Amino acid sequence: MAVVRPFDKLPALNSAAVLLVGSDESLQQKLAEAILKEKKNFKISIHLATSLPLPSERDHLRPRIDLIAFMIDIKSKYSLKNVEASLAHVDASFFLGKVCFLVTGVGRVNYCSVEMNAIWKLGEVYCSPVLYCELELEGIRVATAQRLLRMLQICAGHIPGVSALSFGLLMRNSADE
Amino acid sequence: MEPPQREPGAAAAGDAEAGPAAKLDVLTLLRLREQMKQQLMECSATVHASEESYPDHIIEEKLIKTTTEDLEREMEEVKVSFQNKTLVLQRIQLMDALRNKVKQNDDDSRLILETMKHIIMLSTAILESQQQAREMEEKLNDIKKKRLLLKQAGGNKLLQIHTTMKKQKKELASMEVGEMLEKIRNNLQKEKEMTTLIQNIFQNIIIGSRVNWAEDPSLKAIVLQLEKNVSFL
Repeated sequence: MAVVRPFDKLPALNSAAVLLVGSDESLQQKLAEAILKEKKNFKISIHLATSLPLPSERDHLRPRIDLIAFMIDIKSKYSLKNVEASLAHVDASFFLGKVCFLVTGVGRVNYCSVEMNAIWKLGEVYCSPVLYCELELEGIRVATAQRLLRMLQICAGHIPGVSALSFGLLMRNSADE
Repeated sequence: MEPPQREPGAAAAGDAEAGPAAKLDVLTLLRLREQMKQQLMECSATVHASEESYPDHIIEEKLIKTTTEDLEREMEEVKVSFQNKTLVLQRIQLMDALRNKVKQNDDDSRLILETMKHIIMLSTAILESQQQAREMEEKLNDIKKKRLLLKQAGGNKLLQIHTTMKKQKKELASMEVGEMLEKIRNNLQKEKEMTTLIQNIFQNIIIGSRVNWAEDPSLKAIVLQLEKNVSFL
């Protein structure tokens, strides 16, 4: 499967799927566990991948992906490069609100090896919100999980009257100010 | 709750269900209905958007075609200019090589020099011949022009002669007609005079015979008619 498309599969009843893409697998695992611990009234499936494209042999088993979160560690240049390479395998209509960039390690800017400007520009170019967080800290991880969960609900179409696109626009406006 | 599992390959997936199986009460069903409505709306919007993008594709195709043509034309121009430049460069190189050779001043260079002089001589001869040919052509053109002018003048003269002859014929014809008219008029005059004379004689005879012409209506008509002057008719 060369390109992930948001609307090539039918949604399953009362369920949502999020795809976490990042090079740090332990952080992914922690975040996934935090999301699973949250209280919710729908089925959630979390897919973890170090990079895109996803292998095509298991494509028929995979549900419709509602949200892609690209995880960037500001301590590792490789994570940014990895994300940039993976973005090429995402269908353009995903960027209508169904993608977000998760920048982790914000609490230790001293060890920053990635230009913040590049990350900010990435969000601007791909019209997607950039969330800053510190996944090593318990409290912030929980808060991030809650944010992601809420976004996932919107992206999967569980919230009547709010679409992923309108939510993305809302986020972008607040970011510009 | 299931823990997320890693799978072979670049991707790993984990599934987890939210708590125990959802109870099927009215509220849940209503919520599910709203969810499905929203999802249906999003899907239909996507389908609609992809349908609407077809004219864009056509326009884009046209744009690409025109751009391709433009670029091809540009490429052709660049190719031609490149060829020209190559030619010029080759000539310059050749000239430079020749010049260097000539500067060496040995037997070969002398031969080259002689050939060049010969070429120059031939070229001047060609130029002169061309000049002569041009002059001759000019003369020929002059003569042709004169002949054309003469031809035109001859044509004009012929036309004049023709018109004069026509005029003369017309005049002749009109003169003949005039003579005939004159004769006819004279005849008419004579007849008129004769008629007047006869009228007068007849009138005098009737009056002299002392017939009361007023009694007979036919005679009366005749006498009254005789009163008319023929020359005024």
